[in-house]
Amino acid sequence: MNLVGENLSYKLTEELQLRKISFNFEKGKLYTILGRTLSGKTTLLKTIAGLLMPDSGTIKFEGKNFLEIPVWERNIAMVYQQFINYPHLNVFENIAFPLKQRGLDPQKINEEVFNSLKLVGLEGYEKRKIQELSGGQQQRVSVARSLVKNAKILLLDEPLVNLDYKLREQLREEFKNIFINGLSEESIVIFSTTDPREAMELNGEVIVLDEGKVLQVGAAKEIFENPKNLKVAAISNDPPMNILKAEIDSNKIKFENIEIDIPDHLSKIKDKNFNFGIRASDVELNDNGFEFEVELAEISGSETLLHLTRGNAKIITSIEEVMDFKIRDKVKINFKSNKAYAFDETGNLASSPFGGSSV
Amino acid sequence: MNFKHKYIFLFPGLFVLIGILIFPIIFVVRLSLSGWNSYNGLNFIGLENYIRLFTDDPRFWESFFRLSFLSVTTVVLQYVIGFALAHMVWKEIKFQRFFRVLFLIPMMTTPVIMTVIWRTFFHESLGPVNDILGNFGLSPKWLTDPTLAKFTVIIVEVWQWTPFMFLLLLAGLLSLPKEPFLAAAIDGASPVRKFIYVTFPLMAPISIGAIIIRLIEASKIMDTVYVLTSGGPGTSTETSSFYIFIKGLREFQMGYAASMSFTYLIIMIISLTVIAKVLTKLLLKD
Repeated sequence: MNLVGENLSYKLTEELQLRKISFNFEKGKLYTILGRTLSGKTTLLKTIAGLLMPDSGTIKFEGKNFLEIPVWERNIAMVYQQFINYPHLNVFENIAFPLKQRGLDPQKINEEVFNSLKLVGLEGYEKRKIQELSGGQQQRVSVARSLVKNAKILLLDEPLVNLDYKLREQLREEFKNIFINGLSEESIVIFSTTDPREAMELNGEVIVLDEGKVLQVGAAKEIFENPKNLKVAAISNDPPMNILKAEIDSNKIKFENIEIDIPDHLSKIKDKNFNFGIRASDVELNDNGFEFEVELAEISGSETLLHLTRGNAKIITSIEEVMDFKIRDKVKINFKSNKAYAFDETGNLASSPFGGSSV
Repeated sequence: MNFKHKYIFLFPGLFVLIGILIFPIIFVVRLSLSGWNSYNGLNFIGLENYIRLFTDDPRFWESFFRLSFLSVTTVVLQYVIGFALAHMVWKEIKFQRFFRVLFLIPMMTTPVIMTVIWRTFFHESLGPVNDILGNFGLSPKWLTDPTLAKFTVIIVEVWQWTPFMFLLLLAGLLSLPKEPFLAAAIDGASPVRKFIYVTFPLMAPISIGAIIIRLIEASKIMDTVYVLTSGGPGTSTETSSFYIFIKGLREFQMGYAASMSFTYLIIMIISLTVIAKVLTKLLLKD
């Protein structure tokens, strides 16, 4: 009774294609597709929705061949990153549209529409024209329109990306509540995003997608703690995890004349050469640390991102306060080596502080 | 803005406007109050022409209602056919460009010449249409039967001017946002319902514009009637403009023709305004 896709392929352009994607989405669960732009997130969602026909592969839902069912009979709902509504209808009519297509009686439509208006916090706006609403409100209308159908499959294609920072935080929080309270056990929610924080916060099952291929599937926590390979580590962290070419020599990790005592969890690595991975947040300023040169300092919100170099090594660190640095300033940093990751030379996870490893 | 010499700059345009628009209208009004013909001067006779028009000329009113019937029927047909064709080539179909050009060809031809060709087509004994229908024992009187002649005029008008409607509506369709269509499919609207609930309402403003433009054009219908039937048989295809033309330029009752023209102008302005209002109310909700 699940939504099952097998070996889905679709070629739009050379860069944008799905390559043999398979999935198994269970009812009552929230799935997050995490991937960068051009990774095929939208293409995959559109294929599930029926707006695109895959070149090969199958989709089955409730035991039926989904590809043979036309879009308008699939009982799905979709929210796009652009705020898509019907410009010729007012808020009420917009939300009522899918119900009208089903031919429900007006009394019932009225009830459902007001329920879903309440859910997205737009009570009192039902007579407004779409153009009179702000971006966030427009997106709420399209969310309400997708919720009102009580569809069995709800697709959200980067619904928060075109909103400003504040609103994004707020809506993300609301989404979580809506997903928990507003949906029946029967629904499958698929949410796509480029933002790893969003994926972690929604805390569902995460599918990491890159260049049209599934790299890793797992709970948000699992993806965060044990990224399967370098690509996943880069995609699931913002800023991307620092990766440094290093070697192990007499119980020391060495790179660019830096020597770090090897932490316990990395001691079992056999290869001499490996990729040393450490998150930006696990690099701290320390007067007794190693000297790096500031290449760029950016202040984002209440934290400062420092891009540092030392020889061929480039790393990013995030500091939880606003600090003023000049380019070419010298800073001293230390690595929290107990939080470090090791990836072997082919890029697969060799050891993580959370016990994951492929060796 | 206070600019001293603005009238100097306005004058050339204003001069042309007065010369070709305002003066003729005023002159027509003056003319309609006179018994001007080829031998009398511009003698003032008061409202005599208008009294004659409103009390003693059923032919004018018949031609007017005939015109209303013809223009409304042709425009409705043009709209329906034009919309269907535009909708057809709006979608990705094979030979899309070819069809887009093909549907425009009638508009690129000269109406009078095409009407001559149509007249030949529909000629009762020599035309190819009856030649073919003759095989089935039919020979409709396309141009000499009072009812059928109206039908023939409609066919020719629709053929000639549907491309114009097609062009306006296709431009409209191409300018529509794509997103609502994606949403509608997902929201469970089948292609037919998508047309009714999304395409058609979104096209309403353009439809109103196109219909009004065509109504204005169609109510001037003259050349088709002139060439095809000369208003005949009898007066069964005579339209207002053709009747005014007969009175003014065949019988040289200039004053009377002017009073008819002016009356016609007033009626057209009022009725088109009303039609535009009604259409707006029907198709656009706010």
